[in-house]
Amino acid sequence: MTDLERILTRVERPARYVGGELNTIIKDWERVPVRIVFAFPDVYEVGMSHLGMHILYHVVNSRDDALMERVFAPWIDMEREMRREGLPLFSLESHRSVCDFDVVAFTLQYELSYTNVLNMLELAGIPLECRARDSGMPLVVAGGPCAFNPEPLAPFLDAVFLGEGEEALHDLVEVVHRYKGGGREELLMALARVPGVYVPRFYQPEYGADGGFRRIVAQAGVPAKVVKRVVRDLDRAPYPLRPIVPYLEAVHDRAVLEVFRGCTRGCRFCQAGAIYRPVREKRPETLLDQAEALLSNTGYRELSLSSLSTTDYSHIKELVAELVERYGNEPVNVSLPSLRVDSFAVELARSVQGVRKSSLTFAPEAGTQRLRNVINKQVTERDLLQTVETAFAAGWMRLKLYFMLGLPTETLEDVDGIARLARMVLDKGRECGAPKGRLAVTVSTSSFVPKPHTPFQWEPQAPLPVLRERQAFLQGRLKGKNLVYRWHDPETSFVEAVFARGDRRLAPALRRAVELGCRLDGWRECFRFDLWQQAFAETGIDPGAYAYRSYGYTDALPWDHLDSGIDREFLTREHAQALAGETTRDCRNDQCTGCGLCPNLEIEPYVAEAGTGAPV
Amino acid sequence: MPRFRLCYRQEGRARYVSHLDIVRAFERATRRAGLRLLYSQGFNPRPKLTFAAPLAVGVSGCREYLDLELEEEREPVEVLEALRSNLPDGLVPVAVRVVADGPALMSLVDRTRYLAVGPVPEGFDARALQAELAAFLSRGEIVVERRSAKGLKRKNIRPGIYSLRAGINGGKLCLSMELKAGAGNVRPDEVLKALGERLPLVPDDFAVLRTALMSRDNQLLWGGKGDGE
Ligand code: SF4
Repeated sequence: MTDLERILTRVERPARYVGGELNTIIKDWERVPVRIVFAFPDVYEVGMSHLGMHILYHVVNSRDDALMERVFAPWIDMEREMRREGLPLFSLESHRSVCDFDVVAFTLQYELSYTNVLNMLELAGIPLECRARDSGMPLVVAGGPCAFNPEPLAPFLDAVFLGEGEEALHDLVEVVHRYKGGGREELLMALARVPGVYVPRFYQPEYGADGGFRRIVAQAGVPAKVVKRVVRDLDRAPYPLRPIVPYLEAVHDRAVLEVFRGCTRGCRFCQAGAIYRPVREKRPETLLDQAEALLSNTGYRELSLSSLSTTDYSHIKELVAELVERYGNEPVNVSLPSLRVDSFAVELARSVQGVRKSSLTFAPEAGTQRLRNVINKQVTERDLLQTVETAFAAGWMRLKLYFMLGLPTETLEDVDGIARLARMVLDKGRECGAPKGRLAVTVSTSSFVPKPHTPFQWEPQAPLPVLRERQAFLQGRLKGKNLVYRWHDPETSFVEAVFARGDRRLAPALRRAVELGCRLDGWRECFRFDLWQQAFAETGIDPGAYAYRSYGYTDALPWDHLDSGIDREFLTREHAQALAGETTRDCRNDQCTGCGLCPNLEIEPYVAEAGTGAPV
Repeated sequence: MPRFRLCYRQEGRARYVSHLDIVRAFERATRRAGLRLLYSQGFNPRPKLTFAAPLAVGVSGCREYLDLELEEEREPVEVLEALRSNLPDGLVPVAVRVVADGPALMSLVDRTRYLAVGPVPEGFDARALQAELAAFLSRGEIVVERRSAKGLKRKNIRPGIYSLRAGINGGKLCLSMELKAGAGNVRPDEVLKALGERLPLVPDDFAVLRTALMSRDNQLLWGGKGDGE
């Protein structure tokens, strides 16, 4: 028995660590010059549900000169055993030490995974600070949504990839190949010249005498601003039609078909809606072909139509009808992850679900029309009530409603509005004759976190005591039969807010938090707010100065040198309109609202021909 | 509808997969292979796929069995080939045959054989080990603790140990055991643990392989005398 085999008998779900799943690719290590390990800073089940990983795995492994393997954050029991036996972090495919790879590529999906990034580096035996890594050590890179402000991680990351990775990864492979065996500095300089690549060490932040962030200065030879990468033609972009099929049940255990990228609704709190612009659809024929290949290559019984707002796909009705026609008897279920608040969406959900056994989820996000206008969530009370009526009439009995607490300008009246809406929905259910025993309206709230590159990037987060108070208030208002209230702990949102708009001075606090034992912060049972507070205190950081900071339009922002393609003027205009309670229309269907992205990146939105799929 | 019995090996990385996940892996493989499994009727249709005996996580099996029911007639060799090219690496189909309707596969299994291979305890040779095992088995009671949904339970495993033999092969201790399956079953790790209390051996150091599943009358599930294998 090897050390690993011995350890595996002692941990929960050892299949998380060994690989060997269907469609895994194991290449001949000696014959492949560029070796990358994709590192997902959360556990296997979460990481394997992430579409981006499957895409990049496919992109890199389709090259002859490169290989990509996978590694995930070990769960607490595995970490304990690994440390005890002195076993370094290893990849799933070849069980090789992560530190043997040329590149360790992290994806940064949420701020609460930052501790896992550092912990994984540590477990791999890779020096945390880039400056301490010599040329024998892997290059540590990162991408994903949080790459749009990676400053708190800047000292630990050699390079950061902004925007979509399908094409940028090819550049990475080529540069690494060319500079293999050479000096670190030359390699990094070459990377810094690749479009969309940010090499933090070539950029120096400056702070004012008052401690405020002043600006970031690019060294000679690297671009002052790094502009995100974007795939022009999603229809022809590489797509993993032979994705790895985990043995373990992943969080999303199904085949995933990406229908389009980008979202045009312009919700002002939403970072994904900002950084994945413009909207780019695939053609229905492409999607049908891909669906066929995915199902036959995986054997999944569920096909999820994925995007930020799938109901908005221009041919959604035809696509769903065709899929149900082809696979309805297999039995294969088609699922729609996010439903728009309208009857059309419910009808669509009805057409894919023969038996209405599960619940439907809608996200009005705010409790009053006033506040929904502020955030540009264009859903009226009438829309919602009509929608739920359709849902109840169609036989659903369990509905879930998502809201955010602490949105800019929110008052108690808005919070009360959430309870009021929930009750109206419940009344509708009773009116529609949903049986008392089975009727359930669940309200879930999360706390608003201001995110970079959105119109709300200047806004402070609501103070923790206020969030707790509003949550308690809502809890009081949502007591009663058939009502369920669920919430996210505001403390985690607070830490998220600190890092979302953080700068490099947070790095020591992050490092200290990891030393104190913070990891897997996205898991309620692991999150230790007390340790976080201790880490901030010991490193002299006032976290509130980050989370509660209100920026002026002319203030420098720590992510100003990272360009999402959207004009700053558009964001300020949106912010001002938000405060005035004015909405901005959807930019789908040739109704450009002038965010500047398309001209800036010389790209055009692509909607698969006429037909909006929207109700008339 | 035709019912097929598959004999397969579960080895390598697949030995770390739990039984529930193995069931799903086979279900998906049949779908990829274009074999139309029969599904139960109702709200949540379940595939007609039944296993002889779940394998514990970490243990390999070189003669595992499952029955699958298909919607249509197929040649056994076709089923075998279809599965061969559609299963992940550690699940290896060995043979397929048609079986008549009969009792559920699981109810046939009465005993299981295992081979556990690990380091030879310091200071023992084959003879000394045989003597230790004889003394071990001569006890009327061998009590182990088993974790269940209701907490720890004490359990006498002696009646479920039909045989236990030791040999030294290539510098390794090889323990072969024949244990009770089904109600009153004994697991190989329980035997190792109990042995570890009298011999200097660490159960985690042993690689465990299930070599056979047998029915009450000592027949292999495939047919043929259990001893003849
Ligand atoms: S430039 Fe216009 S069309 Fe393009 S993403 Fe921005 S608002 Fe939409």
